Parts: sequence; C-alpha cells; structure tokens
Amino acid sequence: MKATFPHLLHLDVALGFLYSSLGIDVVYPPPITKKTIDIGVKLAPQNACFPLKVTLGNFIESIEKGADTLFMAGGVGPCRFGYYAQIQRIILEDLGYQVRFVLLDHPRYGWIPFLQALRAMSGRVLSPLRLKRTVSLAWKILRFTEDLEAQRRALRCRVVDKDLLDNVIDGAIDRLRSVSSEAEFERIKREAEEAINALELHEAQKLLRVGIVGEVYVAQEKRINFNVEKLLGDLGVYVHNSVSTVEYVLHTLPFTKSKEKLEAWQMAKPYLRRFVGGEGIDSVGSTIRYAKQGFDGVVHLYPFTCMPEIVAKSVLTRVKEDFNLPILHLAIDEHSGEAGLITRVEAFVDVLERRKMNSKEKVEVW
Amino acid sequence: MELYLGVDVGSVTTKFVLMDARKNIVASCYLKTSGDPIAALKEGLKYIKAHFPPQGEIKAVGTTGSARHLAGVVVGADIIKNEITAHAVAALTRVPEVRTVFEIGGQDSKLIIIRDGVVEDFAMNTICAAGTGSFLEHQAVRLNIPIEEFGKLALQAKQAVRIAGRCTVFAESDMIHKQQLGFGKAEIIKGLCEALVRNFMNNLATGKRIEDPIVFQGGVAANQGIVQAFRDFFGGKKKIIVPPEHGVMGAWGAAILAMEYAPARTAFQGFEVIEKSFKNFSFNCLDCPNSCEVVVLEEEGEVKALWGSRCGKWTPRSVTQKFKEDLSFVLEREVAFSDETQSSGR
Repeated sequence: MKATFPHLLHLDVALGFLYSSLGIDVVYPPPITKKTIDIGVKLAPQNACFPLKVTLGNFIESIEKGADTLFMAGGVGPCRFGYYAQIQRIILEDLGYQVRFVLLDHPRYGWIPFLQALRAMSGRVLSPLRLKRTVSLAWKILRFTEDLEAQRRALRCRVVDKDLLDNVIDGAIDRLRSVSSEAEFERIKREAEEAINALELHEAQKLLRVGIVGEVYVAQEKRINFNVEKLLGDLGVYVHNSVSTVEYVLHTLPFTKSKEKLEAWQMAKPYLRRFVGGEGIDSVGSTIRYAKQGFDGVVHLYPFTCMPEIVAKSVLTRVKEDFNLPILHLAIDEHSGEAGLITRVEAFVDVLERRKMNSKEKVEVW
Repeated sequence: MELYLGVDVGSVTTKFVLMDARKNIVASCYLKTSGDPIAALKEGLKYIKAHFPPQGEIKAVGTTGSARHLAGVVVGADIIKNEITAHAVAALTRVPEVRTVFEIGGQDSKLIIIRDGVVEDFAMNTICAAGTGSFLEHQAVRLNIPIEEFGKLALQAKQAVRIAGRCTVFAESDMIHKQQLGFGKAEIIKGLCEALVRNFMNNLATGKRIEDPIVFQGGVAANQGIVQAFRDFFGGKKKIIVPPEHGVMGAWGAAILAMEYAPARTAFQGFEVIEKSFKNFSFNCLDCPNSCEVVVLEEEGEVKALWGSRCGKWTPRSVTQKFKEDLSFVLEREVAFSDETQSSGR
C-alpha cells in the first residue's frame, strides 16, 4: 500500500510522520502549484468549491507518483465538504484509476465505517502504548508547524531581515520532516525557538493589527490565497489567523472540543445561533473576538460560492457596523486575479492606517 | 516653485497631473494607454515638460493605477499607491465634505464610502466589467456613435428602453433585439446608461449606505447620460458632484500623496526619461510547475525591475547573471515567445 493525502498548509509534515511510523508507505503530494490547480480545475465540476479542485489535483499528482491508496476526511452537513470525497472518488473511477479510497467520516454517521477507516489508516498493528506515543508526537508536530506559522505572521511586520525569518521558519519545518523520535522533535523545536528569538526586530511601534477569519482551507493555505498574510506583513501589519487545523480536528473528533471554537460560537450567539455548516459561525465569532481585542481590521477569506461563509458575510455586515470594525471580504477561486486582490489589500491597509491616524488626532484634541 | 507630479496609468488611459504646493493643478493631461504604458508615460512626460513653469522644481512623484509599479520605476516615484486611496484623497481635496465616491474607469469601477473625512469602506468590481467604460465604448462602436456623443444623445431620449445589463454580451443581444423592435438610438442609449448604473449599484453598493454628497469621477463621469442615470436612480434626492478634474482625479491624488509623503530627495528620474530606451519582455521560469511568467523591464539594456516571480528567486541581479551565463536561456525563451505569438496570431 502506498498512501497519500491532500495538502493543507503543513499537514503533510505531521501526517507523513504518523503514517510512516505506523508502517505505511507514504507518497507525499507534490507542493500545490499552478499545475495542481490546473489539473483540479480541468477535472472537477465547474461549480464545485475551489478546495475540492485543489485537493483533487493533489490526488492526481500523487497517483502519478505511485500512490494507490487515498486518505480523505469527510463530513455531512450544510457545507459541501461532505461530498468532496465521494465526488473525487467518482471522478477518479471515471478516469480509470485503480485506487483505494479510505474515507474518514465523522463517527456520528456510523461507527463501523469510522473504525474501519481508522484501521486502514493505522497500518501495521502496534502496541497500544506505541500507537499512543506516535499519535501524540504527530499531534505535537502539527501543533508546532502551526506555531511556527503564527510566529511568522506576528513577526513579519517587525523583523529587520524578512528573508532570514522565512529561512528560519521554513528550515525548521523542513527539519521536522525527518523527525523520528520525541527527543529529536524537542531538539528541533528548541533550536527553532532559539533562532526565532535571536532575530533582530525593529522597535515595537503601534502596529496595525489584522485578524484573519474564514473557511478552514482557503484561510490557511497560502499557496491558494495569494499569501495574503505575507502581503499584509510586508505592509507592516501584525497578522493573527483564527483558523487552525488543530482546532478543527479537536472540534471534529468525538471526545474532544476546541475551547477556542466554543468561545467563538458563544460570542457569535447574538448574531448567529444556528450551525450553518463549515466555519460560518467561527467566522462571525472570531471577528467579534478580534473586535473586542482591539484589532484594527479583519480579513475574511473563503472559497467563491462557499455557502456557510456567504451566510457569515451577510451577518458580518451587522457586526461591522456594531463594532465599527472594517472587514475585507475576499472570495478566492481559480479565476481570482492577483492584481485586483493586491490593490484591495493595499487599500484596506490604507483605510486602517488613516482611521488610526484620525482617531489619534481626535484623542489629542480632547 | 515647488511642484509635485502625479501619474495614473490605467488599463485604458494614462493621466498626468502637475500640482503646486497649494494643491492647485498647474498642468494635466489625459492620454490613451493603447496597450503601451511606456510610450504613454513618455508622451505624458513630454506634455508636462512642455507645460513646465519656469523656475519650477519637482519635489516628489507619486504613481497609481494598475501599472503603478511600472510607472514608478520608469518615472521614478517616491510613493506608489493603489487607485482607491489616490481617488479618495483627490475627492476629499476637491470636495472636503464628500461622503461617497463613485469612480468608473476603463475596466474597473470603485465605490468608496467616506465618513468624517476618512475612508471607511470600499468596493471594487471583481468579476465583471459590464459596469465600466469599456462596456459603454463597446456598445458605442456597435451603434456607430462616437463615444463623446454618447451621453448627449441619451439626454435627448424621451423614454428609456430597459436593457438587461448584467452581462456585456447579453446586453448586446438585448440591445439588438430592442433595435429590431424599432426603438430609437437615443432611447436605447438611455437604456444602456441605466443598465450600467443598475449594474454598478447591484455589484458594488449592496449592503452599503450611500450618503451624499457623492463625487462622481473617472473617465465615464464625462458621460452626461450616466450622470443623469445616477440622478434618476436616486430620484434626484442625492447630490451628485462631477468635478471638472474628474478625468485626472487619480493622478491628482497620487500627487497629493507624494506631497504628504515629502521625501528628503525625490526619486524623480528627470525628463531625460523621454529619450531613454525601455524594453519590456517576459520569460516563463520553468524551474517548478508554477511556471511563473516573469516580466522584465530593461532600461538602456540594463535590467531595472521585474515582476511576477512568485518565489522571489528572480531579482534584477539574478536575471542579468543568468543572461550572462546562459545565452541559450534568452534565445530559448525568445524562440518560445515568438512561437507563441505566431500560433496566437493565426
């Protein structure tokens, strides 16, 4: 069995470690490039969500590299994500690929298929203790890749040498790919933290702070969203992203809950009570949280035609007025033009800057 | 005399504004870009040079528009700003109490919401150009009317024909259908103007509170038919101001931003730029499947700037180095490039 899985930021680092430690041969999907997107766009239905197209591109590229078993997550709900795996399976069957599709659905929709999928994904039988250790280390790796990205977002606006920051973070993520033991992981983590702490920073001025909310895939996957985080960072903005795979997994698994998500859902209540699928409530709740934390603005990223996020977008119009918080909505798909996106992000930052200047002047007058 | 230069290179037109320290326009011009921004830039500089006041000195330069980065390198800009900010700044200078800005240019349209002298919100058309100048120009050609006459003719109409304006192509078929039914040109044009306004309001103004005074600027503001259609849309209840400088507001805004930025020494390249030779070419970097199209700008045979390299490995130095090391690299690309032009030219 040669297994593969779709990309989601640095998920491949953690999953690669997990599966290979479980004795499964892993075929890593090539990085998402224009070619990946072209393949997905060509084969998927035209009005399918953009993430479906990109992950389909991942699968095809992996199959060409020799993968024969595809691992994919699923779900059922107002969001179309539940259909992804089914549609992709049918497309691959129609194309004549002989592959096995292992779908990890929520146990709510049947414990037997859930356990069967888990069994397929756990490879050679390990002792329960080793299994636990492996899973917990994979989890730590995933968390740490997210921490590294969070550091990159937070420091980009202040660091003297931006290329050095990228080198340190990308280097650490690369080193994580070869981790084989807990001790090695801890060493890489310590060294990366030391390197980050050693970075030369500009004086902490009153920086603009922008939060990112939106759909779990598009809001995180930099290779799809034109790297809005970098764009903002280069304009001198401190960026925080409320979307995280760790929280998503915590909230989806049957026995765990994400505190962050529960908090966001609570905050969203005056505006949106009903689960609208996907990250609809999270987008609303996280925006309110950013407003309460005094952020200067919010960027809302979602795939074009994403139903839950369109609901969130309409609700956010009210939030925007009530909290006097500028929100930039960016719908992303294969037709998105980079020039227009850059212009809007730049203009958005100008808006935030001028608002901040203006409010300062007012305070001084009083 | 301290002067500030603002340049706005748009998809269809290129605008220059020369401004004094009191934000008064000393000279301005409005040219067709005609797909060659560098030629348009040179032509604009020639005009400004010819109208340059004696003892004038350029203290700062600002560029804006879709080719702002290119213009910034060619002319030498101290500040490179997006169109939205530039337009808002100019509107605020012209009409300080402005609360809404409509800007309709060749290929994009913008709506800017201003409250208490600060931009609060904005929207830009992203998926369709049906509400822009190109749409009108296309229909003008179709009706065989010079675009300059278009607006005037609309005002002569006694009634408007309702034309489906969501999509350029369907608007055209609907227009032909209405012509076949026997409606006059003036009525059809009025219908088109109303369709454009409906499209603008539907695309950009949804969920936004439009308060007056509204400043209407951009090339399309010259079209009286559209101005009237906007007035009709609001039932004459909102004050719409079309400033006489409506065509060059972006460039004016860029000049104002350059003045505010106040560099110690300007990056302006001087009027010698007119005499310099620039070459623009592109190659496809095939080092990874992203296959970025890298656009290179050469000044006098030297790589001055480049765009489009996603990973950032291509810098002016690395491109020059690559050219020196590997002549086949250039030739290969040129061959590939000419092949492409041939096949697309068929």
